[in-house]
Amino acid sequence: MPRLRYFLVKVVQVLVTLFAVVTFNFYLFHVLPGDPIRLLARAGNLQPEDIARLRQLFGLDQSLPVQFLIYLRDLATGNLGMSLAYRQPVADILAQRIFNTVELLAMATVLVIVIGVVAGVFAAARRGTRADAGTVVASLFFWSLPTFWTGLMLIFILGVYLHAFPISGAGTPGVFYSSLPAQLLDLSSHLVLPSLTLLLVDIGQFVLITRSSLIDVLTEDFIVTARAKGLSARQVLWRHGVPNAMLPVVTTSALYVGLVVGGAIQVETVFSWPGMGRLIYDAVLRRDYPLIEATFLVFAVTVILVNFATDLLYMWIDPRVRNA
Amino acid sequence: MKRPWTMLVLSVSAALVAAACGGTAATSAPPASAAASAAAGASGSAAAPAPSATPSQQALKVGWLSEPDTMNPLTTYSTEGVEVLQLVYDKLLDYNLQLKPEPELATSYEYSSDGKSITFHLRSGVMWQDGRPLTADDVAYTYNLIHDNQLGQYAQFLTDLTSVTTPDPATVVLTFSAAQAFNPGLVVPIVPKHIWSSMDAKAIENFANDTPIGSGPYKFAQWQKGASLTLTRNPSWWGSPLPSPASITWVLYGNGDVMGQALRSGEVDIIPQVPPTVYDGLAGAPNVTSVSLPSFSFHHIGFNVSTNPKSGGNPLLRQLVVRQALEYSVDRNQLVQLCLAGHGQPADTIVPAGLSDWHLAIPADQALNNNPAKAKQILDAAGYTVRDSSGVRSAPDGSKLEFRLIAIATTDVDVCAAHLFQNAAAAVGIKLDFQTLDTNTLGSTVYNSAAPNWDIFVWGWDSGVPDPEYMLGVPLCSQIGGNNDVYYCNKQYDALYAQQAVTLDPVARKAITDQMQQMYYNDAAYLIMWYQDKLQAYRTDTWTNWTPVPGGMIFNFTRDNYLSIRPAH
Repeated sequence: MPRLRYFLVKVVQVLVTLFAVVTFNFYLFHVLPGDPIRLLARAGNLQPEDIARLRQLFGLDQSLPVQFLIYLRDLATGNLGMSLAYRQPVADILAQRIFNTVELLAMATVLVIVIGVVAGVFAAARRGTRADAGTVVASLFFWSLPTFWTGLMLIFILGVYLHAFPISGAGTPGVFYSSLPAQLLDLSSHLVLPSLTLLLVDIGQFVLITRSSLIDVLTEDFIVTARAKGLSARQVLWRHGVPNAMLPVVTTSALYVGLVVGGAIQVETVFSWPGMGRLIYDAVLRRDYPLIEATFLVFAVTVILVNFATDLLYMWIDPRVRNA
Repeated sequence: MKRPWTMLVLSVSAALVAAACGGTAATSAPPASAAASAAAGASGSAAAPAPSATPSQQALKVGWLSEPDTMNPLTTYSTEGVEVLQLVYDKLLDYNLQLKPEPELATSYEYSSDGKSITFHLRSGVMWQDGRPLTADDVAYTYNLIHDNQLGQYAQFLTDLTSVTTPDPATVVLTFSAAQAFNPGLVVPIVPKHIWSSMDAKAIENFANDTPIGSGPYKFAQWQKGASLTLTRNPSWWGSPLPSPASITWVLYGNGDVMGQALRSGEVDIIPQVPPTVYDGLAGAPNVTSVSLPSFSFHHIGFNVSTNPKSGGNPLLRQLVVRQALEYSVDRNQLVQLCLAGHGQPADTIVPAGLSDWHLAIPADQALNNNPAKAKQILDAAGYTVRDSSGVRSAPDGSKLEFRLIAIATTDVDVCAAHLFQNAAAAVGIKLDFQTLDTNTLGSTVYNSAAPNWDIFVWGWDSGVPDPEYMLGVPLCSQIGGNNDVYYCNKQYDALYAQQAVTLDPVARKAITDQMQQMYYNDAAYLIMWYQDKLQAYRTDTWTNWTPVPGGMIFNFTRDNYLSIRPAH
């Protein structure tokens, strides 16, 4: 029963948060200074009447609450609206971009978390040794690298100088692929540099958090007990140490996935990756309201769902939450 | 570097244009026009000039930093959209590599003796890319569609249109209510009636045109949004010979630095906008040539001179002497050297020097430039003196010469200029409080015509047509609420504008446009800082025969460089 109640409470929280996000998104961008039409029309002899006509075409002549109600009505029917800049359904534009972002980030996220945790465990198990100090220093070094700069350095070294990998886009432009393997190969070569950038700049936090959390755990009494039972060092570490050190790592991972969906803007910009980060950046600059609302909605839903999943995960890995 | 305002440069605009260009022969002498204009039409260089150009299997790749908005040629508002679609859709006429009119779908045209109607004789045997023939009906449909529905950016060229007739399938007559110095045939793309006529105006406004069908030298192939757009050669195009590139792909880059690297590594063949910092770095790159061309653009500092009672602008800026003192305080040469790394020239009037036939150069001894002593002198004489320990001048009533200054945060050259301007103004006793904004916020602040609450801004303009009309049309009283960003209004200036618009003789027209440039310069509502160079770079080992054109080899008013380049090997 407590389990079901915990679950239901979380579901209600998710729904309330979603509605708040939808409302907030809508008003936030509409009250920002700026106007999608005004700049479109900065040219030649476009008359005030032309500008008024465009505004009416895009429904921007309605009052804000009316626009909000129309937005809610459309949203309820699954209609995300028309992009003002592209004059195309927002859903069509989003679909391809989400796919590209997930492609890049799924790869990078898995690598960052897995390698980060393993390196953290490695350092914690060798606490105080040179290997530990080396791992910590390296993590701090990479963590402090600016994403933008790291990406550009990789472009210069691996892309332009060594000519090893393509430096931009998610595929060779203008190519029609003869087969699926050819397409996948092209895609993977384009994935290398952006994933490597994300890996380098983001891995540090996982190493450090895993390390410090595990070091704490390794000083607990039950570790001494485990050792006293005659378990090998490896068994003590992986069976008793690591699982108990995972709570902060899971929290960080959840935050990371949330950040990553909206936060790969720099990597996408440097590598001209046609993903969500670039899309939202351009949409905000152009005040493309329907597109902004939809992208933020996607971000919000992702973060909320990941957090929801994390809450459920806690229940599984931490009995204290389960029985609370 | 894509400047925010270039996105707005709706490629073509300004009502009456180009009397200066090749059309001059035709338009300057309407009474004798029939023979003259036919000659002008025939003498324009052919659309695909080099006879030795042969179709190849090689692709051309172009870098860009921003994507088209739509593939609908009638409603696109982006330079990128126009750039791509000009290769898919033909116009009646076009600009050649000298930016003079040349024939396209119309092989010749003539003006009526009163200049109010233009007769176009269409090329025979032209096919749409779906195999249907192109006739006068399609032309008439397109012009009527735009005019009747005030559709998109081309509507402004057809405001005076009264009728379109097609005496036979190869002839179109456009009739206007007033003489037309500008020939709209140069800008309006022709769309196929059999595809478009099934939609009403509202549907056309929202028509994304995902698979454009035109009559041009290239066919639409695919557009991967956020990545690249590809056209392929149209083997049944009417022009001869066919263009060399088998396909043209525009590749989207996230920033100018990476685009420069992509040119070095051979990912693209040409980049149309090179940031000044990247430009110098490309100098020694193997197989890369970079070119610096005059442009039709300038950057300026604008003063809010609105007389609207709701204006929140500092009223002291409405004093001519204050604006002139600000103009005198600045050294434009220093701005060019420090902010553009020398890639431009110090500016004076509102018609860019790139429009060399029309630009009025202000003699150095009359220039409102780099003369802080003079600035102090005129301020002193007008009673604006330093009255306290702040070092800031004030009017006799105590109000200080202190103004807000805004610029676009991401436009580095403008931020640089704003800082230098701030120092220069401080040196003559005027205080500027500087703040940066994003493009859209600056735009809506400046253009808030109901209550413009700002003092001074930094921005730029790109002339949408190779003619002075475009830029001269911005500071009109009627453009308040439209494009007039400083709310300047001078009835005398407006009268001159109307007069030049119907003056078909280029010499007489130049006399009027000179007078307008001088007038606007003296009134100092704009402090025009520089005419920046158009920096472009291309690889020499893939394609050759690029022709330098003022305004750019590509992303200009001519499509002919795409059609005349040849494989390097």
